Amino acid sequence: MTRSVLVIDDDPLIRRLIAATLQDVGGFAVHEAEDGEAGLAAAAELTPAVVLVDFEMPGISGVETCRRLRAAGSTATVVMLTGSADSDTEVQARAAGVDRFLTKPFSPLEVLRLVDRVGRQ
Amino acid sequence: MTESVDDLRAELERREHELARREAQLERYAADLREVFQQERQRSEELHKSYTATVRALANAVEARDAYTGKHAERVAAYGLAIARAAGIDIAGSPEIEFGFLLHDVGKVAIPDAILFKTAPLTDAEYALVQRHPVVGAEILRDVHFLGAAKVVVRHHHERFDGTGYPDGLSGDDIPLAARVFSVADALDALTTERPYRPACGFRAAREEIRQATGTQFCPSAVAAFEDIDDDRFEAIREEVG
Repeated sequence: MTRSVLVIDDDPLIRRLIAATLQDVGGFAVHEAEDGEAGLAAAAELTPAVVLVDFEMPGISGVETCRRLRAAGSTATVVMLTGSADSDTEVQARAAGVDRFLTKPFSPLEVLRLVDRVGRQ
Repeated sequence: MTESVDDLRAELERREHELARREAQLERYAADLREVFQQERQRSEELHKSYTATVRALANAVEARDAYTGKHAERVAAYGLAIARAAGIDIAGSPEIEFGFLLHDVGKVAIPDAILFKTAPLTDAEYALVQRHPVVGAEILRDVHFLGAAKVVVRHHHERFDGTGYPDGLSGDDIPLAARVFSVADALDALTTERPYRPACGFRAAREEIRQATGTQFCPSAVAAFEDIDDDRFEAIREEVG
């Protein structure tokens, strides 16, 4: 069974890195969205198992994107990509329904382990 | 005007910041790649060590029956590696050659004690059985994939350059190079080790005997590689093996 991973980030480099890292790993298909709007639309269509969303994006923020995702009934594991791990951000994000954090710069092994763990749940 | 310069400056700073972040991200990926590579290299070294230990254990088990040859396999392997290098064989590229040297006589497990230790001349039937040991050895190792080219050494280590050897009667370059090299090393150790039926001779005398058999028993290019290594070096290798 192929499950989908959705990456929402305005930086195409980050999206490509994550997509390339997860390519063909553990039966996940990776989809990309460049902002919150596009991400929510894609999530509604794909019902992804994992959503990686950037904290800081033009347009709807990462936290708001997550909040709307949860409001729409998504049960995906949501991973927030952050530039730094500050506790205010974390509290805010957790309240919005974020499950895990991935701090930039992240390593490919972190990405693989994270998604692998989710895949086994 | 001032405002637009400030704007440009701010934009430039933003882009520089962006670029720095991307660079940091790519460097993180590269660092992981290096780490994975190092781990892989370390694991492969460990794997090679454990292969070598396994092969040595097996070679020692074969030799344990045959008390007088004591460490023959290890000495021959060490001589063989030195000659193989001199012959231009890429040992790092095919490390299994050493395994073949160590295991060359593994097929002797199929020879009964009564024949292996017989001091009287062998009957034709007994001699035929002895001559099967390279085939038996290659059969024993057939499904051990990591041994690769080693199996060729095991099968062909008693071939002679003139085609009168066994088991396949191969001649010249039809005999794999590693096996041609090995037979020189094997003879060197046999000649310089004491046997129940004759005393050991020195490296210098052994070299002379090997020279005499060049082109008949031994491959000229294997002997040429052997000649590149002096007696002191072989002496040192023997000391090292102990």
